[in-house]
Amino acid sequence: MLNEKRVILMTRLAAYEQGEGKKNVAIGNYFRSDYLTINILKAFVCATIAYLIVFGLYVLYNFEVFMQDLYKIDLVVLAKSVLKYYVITVAAYVILTYVFCTYRYLKARKNLKAYYQNLKKLNSLYGVDGESTGKSGKRGGGKGRR
Amino acid sequence: MTALLEVRERIKQFYSRFEIYILPVVKFLVAFIVLQVINSKMSYMAKIDRLPVVLIAALLCSFLPNGCIVFFGAVFSLLHTYAMAKEAALIVLCLYLILFLLVFRFSPKESLLVVLTPILFVMKIPYVVPIAAGLLLTPAAIVSACSGVVVYYALSAVLGSYSNLMTMGEDTLGKVRYLVDALVGSKTTVVICAAFAFTILGVYLLRRLSVDYAWSIAMGAGAVLNIVVILVGDYVLDLDISVGGVILGTLLALVIAKIIEFFRFCVDYSRTEKVQFEDDEYYYYVKAVPKMTVAAPTKTVKTINTTRDGRGRDVETEYTGGRRGKGSDRRGRSVTIGSTDMEGYAGDEYGYEGEYAEGDYAADGEYAEGGEYVAEGEYAEGGEYAEGDYAGDGEYAEDGEYEDYEGYEEEYSEDEES
Repeated sequence: MLNEKRVILMTRLAAYEQGEGKKNVAIGNYFRSDYLTINILKAFVCATIAYLIVFGLYVLYNFEVFMQDLYKIDLVVLAKSVLKYYVITVAAYVILTYVFCTYRYLKARKNLKAYYQNLKKLNSLYGVDGESTGKSGKRGGGKGRR
Repeated sequence: MTALLEVRERIKQFYSRFEIYILPVVKFLVAFIVLQVINSKMSYMAKIDRLPVVLIAALLCSFLPNGCIVFFGAVFSLLHTYAMAKEAALIVLCLYLILFLLVFRFSPKESLLVVLTPILFVMKIPYVVPIAAGLLLTPAAIVSACSGVVVYYALSAVLGSYSNLMTMGEDTLGKVRYLVDALVGSKTTVVICAAFAFTILGVYLLRRLSVDYAWSIAMGAGAVLNIVVILVGDYVLDLDISVGGVILGTLLALVIAKIIEFFRFCVDYSRTEKVQFEDDEYYYYVKAVPKMTVAAPTKTVKTINTTRDGRGRDVETEYTGGRRGKGSDRRGRSVTIGSTDMEGYAGDEYGYEGEYAEGDYAADGEYAEGGEYVAEGEYAEGGEYAEGDYAGDGEYAEDGEYEDYEGYEEEYSEDEES
């Protein structure tokens, strides 16, 4: 038998999952530390590539100067300064990412609260209805596949 | 004003019902305009400056995610700059890559602003961006809007240096240096970015205040903030920004922001949901159609018969025709309002009843049309899909009792309209 209450709840959950909740559900699948680690790693890679691009442009911009003074330049000092700027850039970007992702994660979890409550409700509906038929196994997860 | 509101409600109804078709059309139009503007402003590569190419790209954008418009915009502008000068393409590519790597990761949702901002600059209404972004989006839009400003001024600088680049011949390094100087040295970019950032933040903070007319206040304050920041920047950095242009542009932006306010349902409305899911027993294919709480008035036949009923009371009968669904049994109910004191019912009192009835029946019509809607009554109970308390109205009209409304004793009864 179709349980109308259950269908409505599942419809609502599915609509949330497909719409505004899509991202939140994806974020909610991670532990906080995992989510942050992944994003910081991505940020690190992106910042490195971006820095390389800017550095490349800088070299191109000063190419003639470099060529002229190649033998006069103290390469160790140059490398140190390049590294210094690299570390500053990456650190700043990673910190920014950390703050942003923490905020986003907390917000997503907060948004998901109602969703989880509804999942529990659905679970309990299955519990009441499915005691005799023993179909409580799938419960909230039932609306997963589409 | 009422007529306008009716129009809005009609559009809203239409939009929420046919969103699935309207959205691709809108995306197609946006993509088409974006690419046409890019082609008209740059037009160095004849191969892509042709209508069929633009149409194909716009059609692709219409069903692919929003990011595609950004992608095609970037590709088109890159190809044009490539045809103009390879060095210019290199610089623009570097700029796009940096934006992509550092900025879009944070706010992919607002990335469309990066394309729309330069387009609005070309259309001479750039100040719509900060005000509209502040009204509709979050402060995260600052990043995208500022990126759009950077892109616009970078492309302008590149295009502006065309004749100089041509005179440089084969001096690649010289061209790169010249372009980098043109890009980095633009103080106007900094000022406009600052103005956009302050305006978006200001508008966002003000429109969230829980005061009356928060949106209008936010718009006005945002417009003033925008002008002030640009003028101060212009004065301090001694730039050449046209004051009249800024003020006129901002006023125009205010008008557009007002229109956006009027149609703000675009970002917040309950839409028709089509979902599929399953449990152990069934596959469900559900189409959930939102109830319309304030429906556009449909044809209303209002017959007022003042007769005496058996109990010596004046009885007023009002027939309100609702919208009927395709497959529904053409139900039309009449609401009878009886009262001992007819004078107590002034015109607007009836107006209210009429509205109520219309809204209610229109919702019924929706139901009937969206025949697949599961368990309407339940939705009404839940009250979440139906936007307000009126969701339940259908029920209490049926109950036939609605007592003590504003001190009057009223009786609602149902008749069948033939």
